[in-house]
Amino acid sequence: MLRYLTKRILLFIPTLLAVSLLAFGLSRLAPGDIVLNYLINNPFETAISSPSDLLNAERNYRQAANVLNRDKPAFYFSVSPKAYPDTLFKIVIKDRRETMEKLIARYGNWPQIESYYQQVRALDLKILAQPDSLSRIFVPFKVPLRELYAAWQEHAIDARLGEMETALANDSLLMAAVGNDFFILKNKFQTVKTEATPGQLNIPAFRWHGLDNQYHHWISGFVRGDFGMSVFDRRPASDKIKPALFWTLVLNLAGILLAFLLAVPLGVWSAVKRGKTFDKITSLGLFMLYSLPAFWIGTMLLVFFTTREYGMNIFPGPGLGNVPSDASWWEKILLAAPHLFLPVVCIAYPALAFISRQARGGMVDVLGQDFIRTARAKGLPEGAVIWRHGFRNALFPVITLIASVFPAAIAGSVTIEFIFNIPGMGWLTYNAILMKDWPIVFAILMLGAVLTILGMLVADVLYALTDPRVRFKE
Amino acid sequence: MFKKEKQHIEKAERGKLAQTPFALLRRRFGRKRRAVWSLRVLYVLIFIAVFADFIANEKPVYCKIDGETYFPVLRQYAVDLGLAQWDARFFQKEWSEHEYEASVFPLIPYSAKTIDSKNSGYKSPFASQRIESNRYRHWLGTDKVGHDIAAGMVAGTRVALLVGVIAMSIATVIGVLLGALAGYFGDQGFRMTHTRLWVNLAALFFAWFYGFQARGLALQEDGGLLEGLGIAIGILLLANGLVFLTKKIPVKIFRKKITLPLDLLVMRTIEVFNSIPGLLLLLAFVAVLQKSSVFYVMAIIGFIRWTGIARFLRAELLRVRNLSYIEAAKAMGFSHARILFRHALPNAITPVLITIAFGIASAILLESALSFLGFGIAAEGVTWGQLLSEARRYPGAWWLAVFPGGAIFVTVTIFNLLGEGLSEAMTSE
Repeated sequence: MLRYLTKRILLFIPTLLAVSLLAFGLSRLAPGDIVLNYLINNPFETAISSPSDLLNAERNYRQAANVLNRDKPAFYFSVSPKAYPDTLFKIVIKDRRETMEKLIARYGNWPQIESYYQQVRALDLKILAQPDSLSRIFVPFKVPLRELYAAWQEHAIDARLGEMETALANDSLLMAAVGNDFFILKNKFQTVKTEATPGQLNIPAFRWHGLDNQYHHWISGFVRGDFGMSVFDRRPASDKIKPALFWTLVLNLAGILLAFLLAVPLGVWSAVKRGKTFDKITSLGLFMLYSLPAFWIGTMLLVFFTTREYGMNIFPGPGLGNVPSDASWWEKILLAAPHLFLPVVCIAYPALAFISRQARGGMVDVLGQDFIRTARAKGLPEGAVIWRHGFRNALFPVITLIASVFPAAIAGSVTIEFIFNIPGMGWLTYNAILMKDWPIVFAILMLGAVLTILGMLVADVLYALTDPRVRFKE
Repeated sequence: MFKKEKQHIEKAERGKLAQTPFALLRRRFGRKRRAVWSLRVLYVLIFIAVFADFIANEKPVYCKIDGETYFPVLRQYAVDLGLAQWDARFFQKEWSEHEYEASVFPLIPYSAKTIDSKNSGYKSPFASQRIESNRYRHWLGTDKVGHDIAAGMVAGTRVALLVGVIAMSIATVIGVLLGALAGYFGDQGFRMTHTRLWVNLAALFFAWFYGFQARGLALQEDGGLLEGLGIAIGILLLANGLVFLTKKIPVKIFRKKITLPLDLLVMRTIEVFNSIPGLLLLLAFVAVLQKSSVFYVMAIIGFIRWTGIARFLRAELLRVRNLSYIEAAKAMGFSHARILFRHALPNAITPVLITIAFGIASAILLESALSFLGFGIAAEGVTWGQLLSEARRYPGAWWLAVFPGGAIFVTVTIFNLLGEGLSEAMTSE
């Protein structure tokens, strides 16, 4: 048994790694700049009126990026065209990095591009250093300059440079102040164009980044129980996930327990009455129940039983009511019980339909076997035949269903928690997506996978325990 | 019904009925009452989906204005395809405000997105509505801004069926391919030369690199992705052509063979996909997409939901490949490709229909759950899930809860019943 168990656990490790890569890959694709979400106010959009302002903004950004591990390479290694420098990740500001990536993808000559981009920034700093009295005359020059930070198409850059040149020609004061620097900038862009090396884009280059990378930090944090930080309120993700997990578990465990208590007798009974009207009606009923979308039933229950419109407001409205956060878990459940009733029903009935169908199938198989006929032949009462001989043998496969129902319930409770405003994992996911709080979203995705894998492991083990053949097969 | 069946049996006895597995399956399926009825309901749904524009539309099917005859519904198709343009007069007024000399309006004279401002604010189907006549009544009520729910239901039918069919087509392609490879070859059966393996791995790398990685800018243009895919496939084909040439070289090193555990690889991949809760994965995928469109949702559902089909087909092929006629085909020296596609697959593919039917049900359910949560729908589309979520916002509107949800239920049920009917038809006798 121990050997089987270790083998199963070892097999789950590569699966878990693959899932983590999938989740991490998706998190890299997430739109927007997470560092700016974390900073709430974009430091580059607040009033920047002196060189130190710009440097401050850049420093703030860099610090935030450091907290979020965004100033590191993404993975252990990278394979990219040779034209890209291996230290591109050190350009921390995402917008600027993306602009440069596009310039490299177009011209393929990083040193020239870097020199051009440095000149844009140097010119920006120089203008900021001018005394306030002159700031007005710089406006027609400054606006296109700022736009150069994000411009990457040739015609766009040429247009901005043209605008700046006209501004210079119109104002001798301006020409005296920054004329030289401007022509250096223009030349540098010219160099970028004339010395383009697009051939470099076609040579693959393999680069090793070592252990100090984003994925390594994320996954090792995950193993230690540190799921990252919410960029929305800067709380650790685990602080938000723990209470959410509590409610999701309460909801699902209660639902599944209820489902088992009802489903097993129902399944056994309809197997005993196989082919009779009772069996036909329950079979059809359970089939219908299985097809009923839980989020529809949830909405219907919410509409008809919690609002005053129809005079049937037996249950309290959405939410959990007033549950003090410092109460013990038992008190919390008791206080929230009336609010939890309808959601639990919604979790329970699809599981009920599934489990009792399985229980019926298992029981039908068992009842057809020889030892049941023997039990009847030796004159045992029907109750003993069904429950002691039949049910016990049909029970084990049904118990293993817990493991397969559980993951489904967790995924299903996303919609149920959304409908009834239960602050569980699904509700947390929904809100995190709305607020673009990616660390939370991908932590939950990972955690959902871990729970599912644990469920499958438990199922395998239970199955191996009840059916020794499984252990020896492979 | 009974008479028909009798005729069938008589015909079968006289040997007049086809005895192919598929024909047998059809006859057995025809005897399942529930499944046949679901099929009929499905035909109705397909009819509604196909002719949605002629059933619910704010434009008349036919009209005559100032002596000129128009077919606006048909014309819309031409305009969408860029073949025609609207007359200026149609821009000036709403469709309901024209003075028609003659007109034929669809059954529901509203489109899903028509805003009837006179009947906004959740008008119940039974409430008094501000309408000219019952011809313009909102039979299933309206929502907050005055959209006709009946029209929304019709538009939703199209989306739901499209999601089910397209998502499952994608899933079927992936699932059949991987399931067939895993089941037919197993862990021992797939042997290739070292040369082929390494050349293919290298080609895979270069295909990825030159198809996608090195084309950062081109990928973002329209059709860039397809172009990249074309380059990648081209590189792979070229590499395999090269390998074919090395076959002619009589050097031992090129002939050494290696066994690939295909079954293991495919089963591991399936496990990865199955270990992430579907809705969570779908949510994560949709959340990172910049553009939201029903077509992306379909593609992603297909990409997630192929595992069931692959597992089913694998199990079938594991059974079929040990049958004696496959051995006979091998003994005759047929190629693997010929045995797999001409002999093994046709015998194993029918049971996959069951998984597809159940898969369509779950794809429709998944999409409506997603649009119920408010993700993944384009602004112009209306889905059942979206209508249902309105009921959560305004619980007083029971009609917003009952009708769209009922439609989801009916559609999901008929696909489940079809799946069950198919599986009973295949296992009976």
